[in-house]
Amino acid sequence: MVSAMTLLGITVSGSDLLAQQSEVDPAAVQAFQKMTEFVVNLEGFSVSTQVTLEELLDNGQRIDVDIYANVVIQRPNKLRAARLGDGVSQSFYYNGETLTLYDPVNKVYATEAAPKTIEGVLDYTRENLGLIIPVADLVYRNAFELLMQDVNFAAVVGDAIIGGVHCTHLAFGRPDVDFQVWVADGDVPYPCKYVVTDTSSPALMSTVTVMGDWVFDPETDAAVFYFVPPADAQAVSFLPYNSSSEN
Amino acid sequence: MNIIKLTILAVVAGMAFFVDLSPATSPIPMEVQFVSEAQAIFGVRRRAIRRGVVVGYAAAEGAEAGAVAQQQAVTAEQQATTAQQQSATTQQQAATAQHENAVVTKAAAGALALGTVVATLPGGCTQMSSGGIEYYHCGADYYRAVFQGNNLVYVTASP
Repeated sequence: MVSAMTLLGITVSGSDLLAQQSEVDPAAVQAFQKMTEFVVNLEGFSVSTQVTLEELLDNGQRIDVDIYANVVIQRPNKLRAARLGDGVSQSFYYNGETLTLYDPVNKVYATEAAPKTIEGVLDYTRENLGLIIPVADLVYRNAFELLMQDVNFAAVVGDAIIGGVHCTHLAFGRPDVDFQVWVADGDVPYPCKYVVTDTSSPALMSTVTVMGDWVFDPETDAAVFYFVPPADAQAVSFLPYNSSSEN
Repeated sequence: MNIIKLTILAVVAGMAFFVDLSPATSPIPMEVQFVSEAQAIFGVRRRAIRRGVVVGYAAAEGAEAGAVAQQQAVTAEQQATTAQQQSATTQQQAATAQHENAVVTKAAAGALALGTVVATLPGGCTQMSSGGIEYYHCGADYYRAVFQGNNLVYVTASP
């Protein structure tokens, strides 16, 4: 589609970026590093996220699935997330000792012993349980190194307003995946929006996350990270992610 | 003049979009006749390779492909069962409702191997508890609820 525009000689704001493909603009890298360092250095925060998962039906019909999530993090080892949306109602609890996924609609929960840090639990849930935790990419202490690995394109696209906040739009490319980050302007460089696009398939499916309601270092009662099962809730288990794919 | 330019752009862009999409969608078979809407969409969700995270990107691919294959196998099995049930029902049109249930139960018997994952339980299940675990007894199969990633699914089990 972009090449069709270029052939027609129509100027789009991204055309200058296309000319610089496979170049890395240090200003974009620097702005991104400033954001990741800000998030990494927060002892705790809460944020709400609106996630849109792009899906493709067998017949090519595009369907977007929207999920709202609220995330509370206290470093080094506490995380609580609640997800609501298209057929999803879930709470995730992590307190440095155990992790629990609770489905309040079906009244079922699964609890497991957990790694000792947030980074450890994010790795464990993704690789062993197949669980996705909202904004996990940006929470890692070494988020900058992890995300910049193999990056071969970086650009400052321009200014945008996300949720009423002035933000700087950054775009990055690495093999098979593009990601875009919008960083709030000013002294508090928090992420406003995060888009990940799978460039390995021509469908170019994305996951779009818009973040808002940031609270830095909130006063959080430690009890919110501990799950107390309701009397009528049923304990179930996680299907191991790796073994489930071998069946 | 501008309007003509825009129209051409819209048409060309539309065509480019169409061409872009077709290689991705054409190899995927349409298999929605025998599965309910919810199961069809669930199947597609597992089939569409989605990467919501950059971290762990390469590692996730193999596992996801495996899960997709598994889901496709389950869908095929469900379709076979449904087709069997439909033909059985057609043959037994004069039978009482009770008799029909018996026929369906028989058709489903032994259809699913232990460890088979389904998105939704079949109809007519009764709940029972054994060893602190809740089981759903549906026809000849027993299921228990499990989380597969963020999804609540049911896996055949032996109480």
